[in-house]
Parts: sequence; structure tokens; C-alpha cells
Amino acid sequence: MRQLRAWFQRLRALPISEQSERDLSAELESHLQMHIEDNLRAGMSADEARRQALLKLGGVEQVKEHYRERRGIPLLETLFQDLRYALRMLRRSPGFTAVAVLSLALGIGVNALVFSVINALLLRPLPVERPGQLVFLENKSFNSQSFPNYRDLRDRNTTFSGLVGYRIAPMELESTGGATRIWGLLATGNYFDVLGVHPVMGRFFHPADDLRPRESPYAVLSYNAWRGRFGGDPAIVGKTVRINRLPYTVLGVAPPDFHGTELWYWPELWVPMMMEPQIENYTGTGWLDNRSTWDTWVLGRLKPGVSGAKALANLNTIAAELAREHPENNEGLQFKLAKPGLAGDYIGGPARAFTLGVLGLAALVLLAACANLASLLTARAADRQREIAIRLSIGAKRSRVVRQVLTETLVLSLAGGAVGYGLAFLLSEALTRWRAPMDFPVQFDVNPDWRVFLFALAVSIAAASLFGAAPAWRASRTDANAVLKGGGASWGRSRLAFRDLLVVLQVALCFVLVAACLISLRGLQQTLKMRLGFEPEDVSVVGFDLGLAGYSDEKSRALQQRVLETVEQLPGVLSAAYSNSVPLSIDQSNTTVYPPDKAGPRCSDGISATYYQVAPGFFATMGTRLLAGRDFTWHDDDNSPRLAIVNAAFGRQVLHSENAVGKHFRNGLSGPLVEIIGVVEDGKYESLTEFQAPALFWPILQNHNSTTTLEVRSSLPAAQMVREMRQAVAELDPQLPLYGTGSLNQMLGFAFFPTQAAAIALSAFGVLAIMLAVTGIHGLVSYAVARRVREIGIRVAVGARPSQVLRLVLGRIMTLIAVGSAIGLVLALATGQVLASVVYGASSRDPKTLAAVVATIALLGLVSSWAPTRRALRIDPVRALRCE
Amino acid sequence: MGERSDVWQGTLALMVLKTLEAMGPLHGYGIARRIEQTSGNQLLINYGTLYPALLKLEQEGYIASDWGVSDNKRKAKYYRLTRGGRRQLEREAKQWEQATAIVARFLAPEEQ
Repeated sequence: MRQLRAWFQRLRALPISEQSERDLSAELESHLQMHIEDNLRAGMSADEARRQALLKLGGVEQVKEHYRERRGIPLLETLFQDLRYALRMLRRSPGFTAVAVLSLALGIGVNALVFSVINALLLRPLPVERPGQLVFLENKSFNSQSFPNYRDLRDRNTTFSGLVGYRIAPMELESTGGATRIWGLLATGNYFDVLGVHPVMGRFFHPADDLRPRESPYAVLSYNAWRGRFGGDPAIVGKTVRINRLPYTVLGVAPPDFHGTELWYWPELWVPMMMEPQIENYTGTGWLDNRSTWDTWVLGRLKPGVSGAKALANLNTIAAELAREHPENNEGLQFKLAKPGLAGDYIGGPARAFTLGVLGLAALVLLAACANLASLLTARAADRQREIAIRLSIGAKRSRVVRQVLTETLVLSLAGGAVGYGLAFLLSEALTRWRAPMDFPVQFDVNPDWRVFLFALAVSIAAASLFGAAPAWRASRTDANAVLKGGGASWGRSRLAFRDLLVVLQVALCFVLVAACLISLRGLQQTLKMRLGFEPEDVSVVGFDLGLAGYSDEKSRALQQRVLETVEQLPGVLSAAYSNSVPLSIDQSNTTVYPPDKAGPRCSDGISATYYQVAPGFFATMGTRLLAGRDFTWHDDDNSPRLAIVNAAFGRQVLHSENAVGKHFRNGLSGPLVEIIGVVEDGKYESLTEFQAPALFWPILQNHNSTTTLEVRSSLPAAQMVREMRQAVAELDPQLPLYGTGSLNQMLGFAFFPTQAAAIALSAFGVLAIMLAVTGIHGLVSYAVARRVREIGIRVAVGARPSQVLRLVLGRIMTLIAVGSAIGLVLALATGQVLASVVYGASSRDPKTLAAVVATIALLGLVSSWAPTRRALRIDPVRALRCE
Repeated sequence: MGERSDVWQGTLALMVLKTLEAMGPLHGYGIARRIEQTSGNQLLINYGTLYPALLKLEQEGYIASDWGVSDNKRKAKYYRLTRGGRRQLEREAKQWEQATAIVARFLAPEEQ
């Protein structure tokens, strides 16, 4: 207890007051006076009396020092002193401080930004109750289940306290602004209960509200939708809204930070799953009871105390039962569990790989910044050797000197970290506000939270230890005698050993980052030149969904044809058609097809193919070459036998034939035979990275789809063409909301986006690396020249030619750059695989790219050495020998 | 800069407290002289070590200080025992007695 009081008193005494010092001096003075008087009384002379008194006291200054040590907290006091000294030193060389803080800010900032993204995607828990208990269900083939399978899992499992199913659903919503297509979520009745979310207004729907199809026209609004589309109407609960031209009742509003369980998809409203027939408006067999459509996402909450492994075993037992009961759909069914938030491993896998790869690159940038700083600091430390030597010789403890050097590096590092965090903060806000160039509401909340702050702090301190270790160690090894005697001038031979390593490291890192940048740019270039299977130039598209607008099949067929007729008459139109969707857009569908000659084909013989429902003239409009057979005509309708056109890859993979015209295949395990009447060229359908995927085209008159994309090839500019197309549709139905309008190239932005994003990110890293390397090498060469002014002066005075001076100054640096490049080259080749996973088409073995990198590094070396080298050549020997 | 052992600091503190109890309020010089006297001049302490020790006792709250005037009309800082200090003195004195008694038993000739 008393100890605590003592420490408290010491803390209080920290702001050392003058009064305290005066008291101390007064007390000691009075002590001495009394002692001297006693001594005089004992018969000593005045001088002797004083001397004896002082001896007995033990030296006034020493007593004062001991007193001071006990009075305050010496550790804190010296720390403050070090801090003030560090700030003073840094203020004295503003150029160095600015460069150092900027380099660190860039290095730490970029790491904080990437970590912010990783935090948002992988670390931050969902804003629901006990998110650790939630798992996402996948199976071997898909990341989604069929709805009847979901129901069986829900009813038969023993390890989940709840299983929910949900489905992304576009809907037509009428709000104060008119009818628009919005993106919502169909969710089973237990969705909100299992997640444990509470409404901010009204209520949510519950399992009792989701029992039978078409009987629960309810909607729950997201907070953003409530504010944005309904103006934050306080009386919204109970109001009716029209979704797909039918009335729904608003039950309540979700809390502002709840955006569903998928991090990348923020639905505007939730509708009970049983309303699916009205929301999706598919014709054909009811989706809710169809075991062969696998597009329900399933999420479960584990019972408390149940492990993932136990739940998985339970699920797979049920899977075996389902396989026995429905072998045609569920044969070989096996489940996997994944972390919720990124559509299982479909997005999760690539997202993890990509962000961790980028974090690796960011770490390299930071390393380069640290190398930069370490070399600058060791140079500075060499300059301050005299100062350190003097301090050591008047009695400073070595540990104190080292601590002061470390304090300086820590101040730099924290300053850089603070600026870097600020930059990351601003950039992540911008990133959160950014919307992807597509018609689909992808957005992320990457705003930094406490985890990112701690990360930035930790990285700052780690960086300080990295680049501060060298100068601190240097300071601790200073031989005071040698320095004070010899003046510390070094002739630059062996003393540069450590700085040489730093230059090599920097150049190697720079090489790797520039290589990554150029390789990815080249990959992007390749991507832009690849064969897509159609010619997007001069094609404009407009999309609309007649099913969502309440059209019956008959009416939608009629409207589609009338729209086409109208558009074909427009001036400047070379060719027009419509289809359900276009390749490389977000709306892609697959089906499983089977070769015809197998008697009783099994599930495993099936081949998955992307399909489209197209009108006659589609291929001509899209610029897809017809290799054999014929296009559809307007006579290929319901009364004709079943027909299809396939691409060459389909023919090869399903029918093992180069010319599939006239051959047949089966659509679905028990589907009818379909005749192939034409073969078109191969192309890209779902992503740019696929290779020779089979595709199948149905005549839209036989396979109707009310989701429509209108394509027009014309010589007019896209903006004008789109205007005309919109007008043509509006004349036929002014209420119909249109989406996805623009040139086909614009629409393709979605497909090209990942590669473009990666290329931009990598280029940014490359530029950062170059900036850091230039400042680093420039600093070093300047320093080397400055140190050797005398030597150069002497050499010139005895007749050295400029080329010899050049060799002297540049020789070492150029060797170091060469060595660094060699190491960088090896590293770049080794990490080529990593790069290929990030950027499509990137190959690290491309000789032209590598040559470009080498040239860049060489240029970089020359540019950064340019100014100091010129200074070296201009050295006037007389002046050089005079000063110093 | 010498090393000071905590044991030495501890006994010095005890001696200071006892001196103040016996003599009443006293200034630093007086305490030092009195300690030397009481030990029969066997203990020759370095007067300088007294002041940090006095500060420690003051921080712990066992003694309190005031500026006053000495016999020779000099300004001096006087220290006095607090109630807590008195209690601490009793405690420490008892501890010392116990300690010396135990050691004495070890050092006494075998009684067998």
C-alpha cells in the first residue's frame, strides 16, 4: 500500500518544478552550513571545515542526482527528454524527415488499406447474433442446393438450431420515383429469427408467414431502401408497395448495418420464399418443388456446443438418404461447410487468394520503404558519430544513447504510420462508395475499424524495429576514442558494406514489383485482344424483364416481336435481334446435356453447357460466325420439332464430332432428343478465364423467356442508338423499366473488371516501388559523393579524366544495381505462379516483358544517380581540398 | 554512483524513524549526527545517502516535512514522525527483535 502511495507521489512530482529544485538546494546548503559551524566550533580552520563537511556529505551534485532519481520516475523523464531531442533533430533536417515520413506513409498506408479489405471480407463478423455459429452449406458440385433438398435438410437434421435458404431475386418495384428494377432477396420464413436480427421499425416475417406458395405477400425493406426509395417515410409499416405489379405489405425495416449474409450483395428488400412463383415468374414446373434446379443458398446456425465436423457428418448422412430416395438428382451428393459471407468458396476462394497475394505485395512495398529508410538513417548515423562519441565520453550510458536513437526511429515510424493510416482511411472510404461498372449491386464496406488501427500500429512499430535496428546497433558500437581522434572520415571502402546490402535489397524488391506491374499490364493487353466469340464493336443493348412487369407469356412474346419490328425500321440499323441474355453478362444459365446414344444415361455422363434463348438474326447481330448448318428462322416455333444451335466445343465434347449438324442430344436426363441445325464458333460465356466451354442456343420461339435483351448492330454512335431503342420500347409500354442499357463494350465492363482492377492495383505498386527506389538510390549516391569530395578533388587534381571520376562514383552503385536486378529476376520468375492466379494471361516467362523490366531498372538507376554524378564531375579540386 | 542495497536502506529508515521518535522533529543534519552518536560512532554513514532515504520515507507517508528555523536562526527543513510512521516503527522494531532472536539461537553454543 505504502509502495503505491510512494509511486503516486513520484508521478505527481514529474512536472519538475523550480520550487522543488530550490528547496533541495536550500536544504543541502543549510545542512552544509550547520556542519561547517560544528566543524569550526571543533577547531578546524574555515577551509578545512568546509572541505570536511563536503566530504562527509559526499558531493553536492551527486546527492542531488540521487535525490532526483528518487523524486521522479527517471525512466519517464529520460523518455520525454529523448522524445524532445528526437523531435528537435528531425525538425533540423526537414528534407530528410519529409522523405522518411512519406516513404513510411506510403508503405504503411498501402498495407493498412489492403488489411482493411481483408478485414471487411474475411475477419469482421456479420452483424448478427453470435456469428461464429453460422456456416454456409456447399456440395461437391455447386455452392447452392435445390429447394426440396433444403426442406429435407431443414426437417431432418439434428445438429442445427436453424437452416435458412435464400435466393437473389431481381424485382420490379414501384416507388415514388416510378417503376425500377431492384435487387432483393427471397428468404425462408425463419431467416431473420435464425440470424437473430431485430427490426428498427415494424416487424420481420416468421416461419408462420411462409407456409404456402403465393399466400404471403409481405416485404421487409432494407434501411437504405427505406431512406432512399421511400424517403424515410415514418408511416411505412403496413403500407402497400407494388412488386412485379402486385401488392405487397411492408412489414418492417431492417437495421442500418444489416445487409444480409452475403458481404458483397446488399439487397433492398426481403420477401418470403413462398412468394417465389410470383417474384420469379418462371413458366414451367414449380421451382419450389424442383429437385433438379440447384440455386438455393443455404446457411445454418450450429446448435451450441456442436462442432462443424459433427454437423457435416449429420448432413452427409442425410445426403446419403437423399441420394437413395432421389437417385436421378442426388446421386453422389456430399456436403461441405464454408464460412458465410462470400457465397461459400465460389467468391471466397478467389477473394482470399487475391487479397492475400496483394497483401504480400504490399508487404514488399513496405520492406522497400524500410530498406530505403535504413540506408538513409545509417548515413545520418555516420554523420552523427562525432556527436555520439562526445556524449559517450562525458559519461552517457551506451544504453541511453541507443535508446535515444531508437526513440527517433519510433517517432518517424509513428508519424509515417499516422499519415499512412489517414491515407488508408480516405482511400477505403472512396472504395466503399465505389460501385462496380455493372448493373448488379456489388458493394463492400471496407471502412477501417479498430482491427485496422491496431494493425497499422503494429506495422509501424515493426517497421521501426526493422529500419531502426541498424543505426541503433551502429550507435552502440561507436568507439568514442577512435572517432574523436580520427574525425571519423571514411574513405568509403569497407564501411559501406551494410548500405550495399540495403541497395541490393531495394533494387531486388523494386524489380519484383515492377515486373509484377508490367507482367499484369501485358496480361491485360492479351485479355483485350482475345477472341470472345462475337464482335462487341458497334453493338448496343437494352434490357427489360416482361415477366417482372406482369406480362403473360403470350403478351410478352407479342411485345418482343413488335419491339424487334419497330427497331429494325430505325435508320442506321444494320441488324437487330433479341435474346434472354448475352455472353459475359451477369445473367448466365446452364443446363446439363447428355449424348443421345447411351441407353439410360446416368447423372455422371452429363455435360454442363451454358444456354441462351435467341431470336433469328442473333448471330449476325452479335458478329458470331456460323461454321456449319443454318441460323434459326421465324418458322422454328412451337409447332416444329425441337431444335438447337451449338458451338464447336459443344460438338466436340458432347458428341465427339467436328460437325454436329444433323446430330442429336438430350437436354436433361429424361428430356427429349434435340436436333442440332447449326454450329457456331467458340467463345467466352461465363468468364474470361474459361477455355472452350460448350454453349447451346435455343430458338426463343420454342423456348420462351420473358427476360429480354435487345441487341442492335448499327453504324450510329452507341449513345444515339440506345436513345432510339429506349424510345421504341417506351412507345409500346411506357411503364416498362429498362436496365443494362449501353454499348456492348460498356456492358462487358463486368467481365473485364477483375483483370483491370488487378492491373491497376499492381501498377500502383510498381509506381510506388519505383518512387521508393529512386529516392533511395538518389540519397545514397548523393551521400557517397558528398563523403568523397576530398578524394575526388585529389584525383582530379592529379589528372583523373571525367570518365574515371564517373567510374569511381557510379561503379559501385551500378554493380549493386546489377546484383539486385539479378536477384529480383530470380524472384520474379519464382513467383510467376502467384501472379498468374491474380491476373489472367500473365506469364512471368515472357522475355519481352522481362527485358522491359531490366531496362526500367537500369533507367531508374541512371536517373537517380544523374544529379549527384553531375555534382561529382563538377567538383573543383581546389575548393574541394580547401574545405573539409 | 554506488549500489545501495535495500537492506541498508531499510535499516537506515528504521534508524531515522527511531531518532525522530526519540528526539521529536529534527532537520536532516541533526538526524545524521544523532544516528552517528547513538551508534557510538561505530556507524559512519555517508550523510548524502540520508536525503534520498528521507524523501522515500516522506513519499511513503511515514514522516512529514516543514520549513522551520533552527537554533542558530537558520532556515532548515524539519522532519517529524506521522502516526503511520509511529505504527511502522513499532512493526519494524518487532520484526528486528524477532529476526535477531532467531539468528541468536543459531549462533548460540549447542545446548545438548
